[in-house]
Amino acid sequence: MTAELTRTYPPGDHAADTLAAGPEVTGGQPLVIVGRDVPAKDAVEKVTGALKYAVNFGLPGMLYGKIVRSPHPHARVLRIDTTKAEALPGVVAVVTHHDAPGLIWENAWFNYRGHILDGTARFVGDDVAAVAATDPFIAEQAVELVEIEWDVMDAVFDAEQARRPGAPEIREEGNERPAYQVHWGDVASGEQDADFIVECDIHFESQQAAPMGRNACVAEWTGDRVCVWTSSQTPSEVRDSIHEAFGIPLSKIRVQALPVGCSFGNWWVANFMLITVLLAKKCRRPVKIELSNHESMVTVKRRHNEHSRGRMGCTADGRLTMVEFDHVIDNGGYGFKDDVGFFCVDLWGRAKNGNFAIHGVNTNRLTAGCMRAVGDVTLGSAVERLADECAIRAGVDPVEFRLRNQIRPGEELRMQHSRHAMPNQSVEDYLAGIPESMRAGWPVPFRLSSGSTEDILTRGAEAFGWRQRWRGWGVPLSTDGPLRRAVGVGTGAHVCGVEFEGNTSAVVRINPDGSAKVYCAAGRQGQGSETTLTQVAAEALGIPFERVDYELGDTDACPWSHGSLASNTMYRIGFAVKAAAMDARAQLLEIAGREFFDLPAAELTVDRGMVRRAGADPEGLSFTVEDVLNVFRSDTLGQASSITGRSSAVPMPPATTFARHFACAFVEVEVDVETGAIRVIDYLAGQDSGTVVNPKVLKNQVVGGALCGSGFALSEHLVFDEVNGAIKNGNWMDYKLLRTLDFPREIQVIFGDSYDPVGPFGARAAGEAPAAAPGPAISQAVYNALGGIWVDMPMTPERVLTAIGRI
Amino acid sequence: MTRLDVNGHVYEVEFADHDSLADVLQERLYLYGTRVSCAEGECGCCTVLVDGVPATACLIVARQAEGRSISTIEGLGSPDNLHPIQQAFIDEHGFQCAYCTSGFIMSAKHLLDHNPNPTREEVAEGLSGNLCRCGAYPYIIQAVLTAAERIGREP
Repeated sequence: MTAELTRTYPPGDHAADTLAAGPEVTGGQPLVIVGRDVPAKDAVEKVTGALKYAVNFGLPGMLYGKIVRSPHPHARVLRIDTTKAEALPGVVAVVTHHDAPGLIWENAWFNYRGHILDGTARFVGDDVAAVAATDPFIAEQAVELVEIEWDVMDAVFDAEQARRPGAPEIREEGNERPAYQVHWGDVASGEQDADFIVECDIHFESQQAAPMGRNACVAEWTGDRVCVWTSSQTPSEVRDSIHEAFGIPLSKIRVQALPVGCSFGNWWVANFMLITVLLAKKCRRPVKIELSNHESMVTVKRRHNEHSRGRMGCTADGRLTMVEFDHVIDNGGYGFKDDVGFFCVDLWGRAKNGNFAIHGVNTNRLTAGCMRAVGDVTLGSAVERLADECAIRAGVDPVEFRLRNQIRPGEELRMQHSRHAMPNQSVEDYLAGIPESMRAGWPVPFRLSSGSTEDILTRGAEAFGWRQRWRGWGVPLSTDGPLRRAVGVGTGAHVCGVEFEGNTSAVVRINPDGSAKVYCAAGRQGQGSETTLTQVAAEALGIPFERVDYELGDTDACPWSHGSLASNTMYRIGFAVKAAAMDARAQLLEIAGREFFDLPAAELTVDRGMVRRAGADPEGLSFTVEDVLNVFRSDTLGQASSITGRSSAVPMPPATTFARHFACAFVEVEVDVETGAIRVIDYLAGQDSGTVVNPKVLKNQVVGGALCGSGFALSEHLVFDEVNGAIKNGNWMDYKLLRTLDFPREIQVIFGDSYDPVGPFGARAAGEAPAAAPGPAISQAVYNALGGIWVDMPMTPERVLTAIGRI
Repeated sequence: MTRLDVNGHVYEVEFADHDSLADVLQERLYLYGTRVSCAEGECGCCTVLVDGVPATACLIVARQAEGRSISTIEGLGSPDNLHPIQQAFIDEHGFQCAYCTSGFIMSAKHLLDHNPNPTREEVAEGLSGNLCRCGAYPYIIQAVLTAAERIGREP
């Protein structure tokens, strides 16, 4: 990592640097803290067991809530009698749909749309009512005493069936969303240019985020104000949803998002949080609902199961001419999403002609929504499968095929042709709608701003020994009795945050003692933002890392921002944090220039907590930040004892318009053709996230992605009951998560060398592309090990044996 | 009242017959570093040492712990005096969300007590009863190897 340590800001010629930086930050000095392997800011809390998650949080006088759940996949409540439950000693209140406000709330990014309770169940386990009591055991007993008379309705568990006329109507908006389409070029001409066309038809099973930390929510009303403590990666969105569901002003809602025991999309906003708020309102006492692990697994959210049908055209010499996909996602009961997939559209967008149609459909299964690398591990894998089929037909090595056909900086992001980006607009029209001052210094819109798979594929292949280990398509590397070994490579890309639902802001305060604190609603889900965002702030402020702290969960302190979703955190929140820190720094230097140096702020700098003239001898005249803020204790000098830096001084460019992050995976697998068992025995991950802010934090994200995507590829899938659609394996005995012995003990990680002109200090995003790459890599390796047979994911022993005709 | 020996302190605690050791540690003694996730003995988050042997506190009825010596993450080291395993987890970034970390560290403590110089493979095997959903395994394994080396160098 020496390259990172010595990187200066800005490295080389980046015309748009001023956009991200505001004024020059470090005057070309080496970066002090960005790029360093500093220990996690919250490491001591984490290794001593002191960290408090929502399950560990409580208030005096608190009641315990439990949720009454539907035994039916689709049913209406005709009558609900709570008398017996309310009569149980210790029970304080029961809430039903009669108590719920008749308002609809939506989770971020269409992940949920519905009422808190509306008297209709749309999947087995759906929320119907809730009980609050002085003790959790009493609440559990009371749940059994709530009497419900049901009108059981026809249910549908298959998205294709739910689309057909006459299917049971699950939602009043209809079961199917309007198709999300991305269309460019002319597919018919792409077919003509092709020497051959390959096709696929793949069903993807549903993965469960299966977070380790069960979640809880505590809500307390004081008058007409409510405060909520829950584990969430999206603090602002929790507040938004309470605002929507209860129709009260945002100013009356405070959310204190506590650390999450991993999330992967599970713990954005969940309906049980809103039920807790409703119960607390009725009880006029604090209420806590804690979900069991089983409830976390079967009542909150899951990855969509998806159905991918695609075609890809290619020339005899291995150049893509067209790609076409029709893709159906099962949203379950309350998901409302339609838009997976624009990431792989961009990755393989060198095909000059393309047409993608995504159909979001509701069924009577558990609500589905965004899980880490949404659309990538499914649709993205299907695209990679077709690309591999093309490479096979053309006789091209899979690394070479990717180098030939994947996007490079400056090339068009096909996502611009989607509904979300610029409906029926040209790039010129789009730009005309944005003030020139705002877009001064932007890179070219809808052209990839930086990074690609090129560097990581090239250097990854070298480090992995790809050329020595690749034997050709469908040819194992070695055969030993029933054991077949082979290698494979896969790639993935994802956005660096999204801007369609709101703008991201941050605040950085410098305190009277010269310490500073970052306030941004990133949430804490193990992604490491406590450390990396603080590094960004410390670098921009010129204040030592040890003197900078963070608040990532309190909506009364942090301005609105998307949380850590859509790989938002470093590119977008990091941008805001840097902008806010630059604003605070500018204010500090202005005071110092006026009161201490009699110089314009532009001639001053702050370095390691000391303010002095830029370029001056570090031993010469300098003042601590504390001195600058406090030497003259008189307001008449216009001096502040603390400084608040705001991010709004620098308009943030839309993320989807410029940036993506990239990953690749090189794997060697061993397949036992007698048992069907697959072992991943070697794994090299390549990651292009632009500047690496903290190498160890990023490696953890990359390796975590590898495990997440490999779990999807090898073992993880929810099993649904055929009769009522209920999840049958909602526990970790029956839902197979990878353990230490299921994966290589060491994983090599290499970083791509790129620098983004917009992202903070050249950084982009991290967490999702690395979960997209392993599935295609392992699939391809298994294909080679089996002598040219594809196995659909998850590649369980049963599926392997079925594919090779053994069972 | 039942007497429980936890981290060398003897506590007189009142609890219900059905309360698990994990419940009592968290709710009566406020030692919530012993995390509960699955409550079925699958994940290993709540691993503690009972007379030096790893056990999932969610599956032990608290009354069974009477007369035994219980060790939890809180007894291993303090912020000012971290155990070498804790320090190694920090240095190697052997965690992400950290919900599983206490359990991993307690399993590692038992492993190193009985095998001070484990191979990488032995560490992976020794920790195979603990789940990390974030997928920090390679760095957890490395942290235990680093801790072993440092403990071995101590005078």
